[in-house]
Amino acid sequence: MDMIAGKIKLTSKTVDQSMNPLDVLERETRLSARDVTVHYGDKQALFGISIDIPDRAVTSFIGPSGCGKSTFLRCINRMNDTIEGARVGGSIKLDGDDVYDPNLDVVELRARVGMVFQKPNPFPKSIYENVAYGPKIHGLARSRTDLDEIVVSSLRKAGLFEEVKDRLNEPGTSLSGGQQQRLCIARAIAVGPQVILMDEPCSALDPIATAIIEELIDELRENYTIVIVTHSMQQAARVSQKTAFFHLGKLIEEGVTEDIFTNPEHKQTQDYIMGRIG
Amino acid sequence: MNALVIAALLLVLLTFSYQVGWSRSRKLAGNKSQHLHSRPIYHGVLAALFAVLPAMVIIGIWALFSEQVTNSFIVAQLPPETAQLSQMQLQAAIARVKAIASGYGVVGEPSATEVVAAQVFASYQQISFLAVLAAAAAIGAGGLFWAQRRIGPRLRARTEVEIFVRIALMACSAVAIVTTLGIVLSLLSDALRFFSFINPLDFFFGTTWNPRFQSAGTGSAGEYGLLPLLWGTVMISIIAMLVAVPIGLMSAIYLSQYADERVRNVVKPIIEVLAGIPTIVYGFFALVTVGPFFAAAGDAVGIDINATSALTAGVVMGIMIIPFISSLSDDIIAQVPRAMRDGSLGLGATQSETIRNVLLPAALPGIVGAVLLAVSRAIGETMIVVLAAGNSPVLRFNPAEPTSTVTVSIVNQLTGDADFTSPQSLVAFALGLTLFAMTLLLNVMALYIVRKFREQYE
Repeated sequence: MDMIAGKIKLTSKTVDQSMNPLDVLERETRLSARDVTVHYGDKQALFGISIDIPDRAVTSFIGPSGCGKSTFLRCINRMNDTIEGARVGGSIKLDGDDVYDPNLDVVELRARVGMVFQKPNPFPKSIYENVAYGPKIHGLARSRTDLDEIVVSSLRKAGLFEEVKDRLNEPGTSLSGGQQQRLCIARAIAVGPQVILMDEPCSALDPIATAIIEELIDELRENYTIVIVTHSMQQAARVSQKTAFFHLGKLIEEGVTEDIFTNPEHKQTQDYIMGRIG
Repeated sequence: MNALVIAALLLVLLTFSYQVGWSRSRKLAGNKSQHLHSRPIYHGVLAALFAVLPAMVIIGIWALFSEQVTNSFIVAQLPPETAQLSQMQLQAAIARVKAIASGYGVVGEPSATEVVAAQVFASYQQISFLAVLAAAAAIGAGGLFWAQRRIGPRLRARTEVEIFVRIALMACSAVAIVTTLGIVLSLLSDALRFFSFINPLDFFFGTTWNPRFQSAGTGSAGEYGLLPLLWGTVMISIIAMLVAVPIGLMSAIYLSQYADERVRNVVKPIIEVLAGIPTIVYGFFALVTVGPFFAAAGDAVGIDINATSALTAGVVMGIMIIPFISSLSDDIIAQVPRAMRDGSLGLGATQSETIRNVLLPAALPGIVGAVLLAVSRAIGETMIVVLAAGNSPVLRFNPAEPTSTVTVSIVNQLTGDADFTSPQSLVAFALGLTLFAMTLLLNVMALYIVRKFREQYE
């Protein structure tokens, strides 16, 4: 019930078209993490991460490879549960609900927190079935027409509908890499999430496909809380309003994107941005 | 003893020629003005090959033909009337001489001619052995001499050794192919002989199996309808698959998706132990335990189930095939990219929804391939069916009644006195050929499907 109420509130809000970068400070906090630690077996991957993630804005995690940014991202929708030997400590709250509360249903959490992966991973099914997959599982459509509507509107929101409207029955794997990634975004949107996590969504794509996805992310932030992990500092600067810099499993610095890139507080952040580490 | 001597001498030749090739090329390499094409080790190997291979060829030829030469030599030593004896008596006479020569002694008092022949034969044996050794050594030395003369900075020893290696590897794989071909050809020729007795139409479409056991050539040859056996095989295979596929597949899913590593490390080897049990053990397990259990269970609910029946054999065979299905499916499910699974879980699908909607459809072609491979095993399985199916080659459609299969009939036709001229035993080859064609077809289909599946994610 709570979840549906949240969704209605979310979509009924008027959307501001041009967001002042500094407005991000005044946004409500959708996700808040406190002292999050992760161990893989004996190895500690994250050391006490605390961060607030604002609603309806793009937050980017940057940092060199192996710094823990993807690990932290996967804590938010508990995808680390699927990795054997992973242990998570601390707390992550989504709208006040503890994500790691034993009473919380992981299935419901993942319906609220969608995820887009590094490599486009459409299912070996038709384009239509790919998008309809989530709504079918969660019983979001009462009839075939309902389902059609969800599929079409999700594809529209992902900016893919015009390109695929005549071939919805062709396999999702027949699309180009950039189209596949937008199909995966449409698939995530179809479930009606509040938060979308993106794990280096453009790392397997060419510059043109990347530009299209970035534009899409910019549009999506009007309705969704977006967290994106990226290797590209230009991408973080282009699409995000808030940026967090990770290094060796620690959160070094976080803040308004403009500040981080123009006036970093820590030397490590500065070195990374200048290309001296990573 | 002789074999040991030959092996030792060949080894000496090998080491010696290798040493010669190696040290000679080393000497050349030591001379700084010359740059060797190949490293000394290749020159050594090449020299050894040139010396040992011709020597081995000589010994091989001797091994092939010495028997004939020896026999005709012995016959020549015996009185001339011996040559007129029948083949069997001649063999016996030769064997007597050999036995006397080797000092083992023979039944009865050896005749004077035999003793003389044995003495001559013994010395002949020694001389011929030494002669062959000398010939081999001479050829080997010749080869070595030629090889070491060839050694020079420009000799491409590495390339030549590589060619030898390729030929040797090719010969090894040719052995498998030639053997298969030989088996098929011998099956085919004997099956054709069978079809000269029995019309192929009567064989392939006949519904009665009754190969009366009579001595060959007394007229009535019996009836050889394949269909009852084929139906028995198919029915038992279907029952086996009905048992093995669901259980095997489910356990594969459990092990690959649900079980944590500790459980997997214990359970997987235990399941695979099932595959290591000899089929004869399954056979008497079926006969002694499963069959009577089914009969009693049938009694309890008022169904007439025979203890030895298609059902018993099929169920036990299914148990035997479980590890086959489960380990193959396990590999195939593990091949489905992790990204597929994560994508589905990330959308909020439960584990079983993910398996049902994403993993299994993606793995399906591979699983079908695995099942077809398992079917061809079931079709070829013999021991379980011999013991548990009741050996009753009658066309019946009730799985609770005894039946028989193609393999069991082959066993029946070939055990005991088989003279390989009557249709009674020749039919085994026709049956074998049918079985071979069936399993070949299934295997080709399975491999095709599995290969198609592999291309999907690469």
